[in-house]
Amino acid sequence: MPSDWEQQLIRRFTLATFLEAVRLFEEGIAAPEDVDLAMRAGAGLAEGPFHWADARGLDVVLEELEMLAAEVGPRFQPPASLRERVQRGQLGVRTGRGYMTYVRRSRRQTEEGE
Amino acid sequence: MYVKRLAVIGAGTMGADIAYVAANAGIPVVLKDVQQEVLDRAQRHIYDLFENRVKRGRITGEQAEARRQHIQYTTENGLLSDVSLAIEAVSENLDLKKSVFRELDQVLPPLSLIASNTSALPISALASVTGRPDRVAGFHFFFPAHMMKLIEIVQGEETSRETVETLRRLAEELRKIPVLVKDSPGFIVNRVLMAAMAEVLRFQEETGVSYADIDQAVARAKIAPMGPFVLADALGLDVTLEVAETLAAHYGERFGPANQLQQLVKQGHLGIKSGHGFYAY
Ligand SMILES: NC(=O)c1ccc[n+]([C@@H]2O[C@H](COP(=O)([O-])OP(=O)(O)OC[C@H]3O[C@@H](n4cnc5c(N)ncnc54)[C@H](O)[C@@H]3O)[C@@H](O)[C@H]2O)c1
Repeated sequence: MPSDWEQQLIRRFTLATFLEAVRLFEEGIAAPEDVDLAMRAGAGLAEGPFHWADARGLDVVLEELEMLAAEVGPRFQPPASLRERVQRGQLGVRTGRGYMTYVRRSRRQTEEGE
Repeated sequence: MYVKRLAVIGAGTMGADIAYVAANAGIPVVLKDVQQEVLDRAQRHIYDLFENRVKRGRITGEQAEARRQHIQYTTENGLLSDVSLAIEAVSENLDLKKSVFRELDQVLPPLSLIASNTSALPISALASVTGRPDRVAGFHFFFPAHMMKLIEIVQGEETSRETVETLRRLAEELRKIPVLVKDSPGFIVNRVLMAAMAEVLRFQEETGVSYADIDQAVARAKIAPMGPFVLADALGLDVTLEVAETLAAHYGERFGPANQLQQLVKQGHLGIKSGHGFYAY
């Protein structure tokens, strides 16, 4: 079990990574798929920041950012594109759509079965 | 368009590897530098890279020889008159690159593309000195280019779709992974990496947790291949500081270089290359 400071470090590292990735997307500089590919192939990250957030759940990420913004500083304020997605119920892998879209196996299987 | 023959301008660390990658994919290359001794060093380096592949049983000696023959080494412009793409990999200096772009614009066929391997200079500024800004883009390899899979294709203000598509196909032919990014400081990888690094530096300053403990925690969590302090020492602290300052100037204080980094550089501690950085070597 990682210690408190370790958890805080990892949280700040991963969320700072995610926030910068989101800025690239919101500014129209790169697509989420390309950012993820680039961070894996170019920086050796185990997981691209958008997939990381989509897999965790965008609602969870939003809460974590709000907490960090209050604790650490306004630079962790959740970005607009994240709030929008959470409001629309696009929470990531679990709902089939977040920053990227995911084919839901169960539905595809029923479609194929029909 | 299809790249039948390409030129690499500058045969230093990156240029030599880029020429190797192209030759290994079977594409004829002209490798140009202004210094003959740099070309000789590049040729030895490329020889070793091919020998390594032979040793590891990936290709035969004959194949290695045939692929090596794809590269022509030169200090002149004569061989550039029929290449369909030039990849510029000269030293990172805007004025130098502009003069190289002007020269390439004169000697290359009018329909050829010119790409820059720059890590940080604006593509649009390079495109603007040519008469073919639609045929100019960034083609950013990562060090070491013979191993790293990623290529950032950087789209300048006037870069055409067709130019991007040609470069994307070429990247795939080189067995690399292309991503598309609009011209902007740090492109994708350096910008996101430096944002995380700046945050970790702030964390370190606030908490006083040691560099080694932080690096180990990052490695243990398996979120990055190495901790940020090991990485910065390897990149060079002067280089890291300069990138942080450039990004801070464009994007704001979240990139602001931390005091630890500024102080180390002031003391001449530049990382592995000077024997001392965040760690002693
Ligand atoms: N080294 C890296 O880690 C790295 C990674 C990605 C991108 N880059 C970028 O790649 C480019 C080259 O970097 P490098 O590390 O290979 O530099 P380098 O210093 O190893 O090589 C640069 C070469 O350019 C040659 N040169 C200078 N003027 C020239 C001219 N007019 N015509 C032809 N050749 C000329 C020099 O003789 C030298 O051999 C830079 O833009 C750099 O930002 C470097």
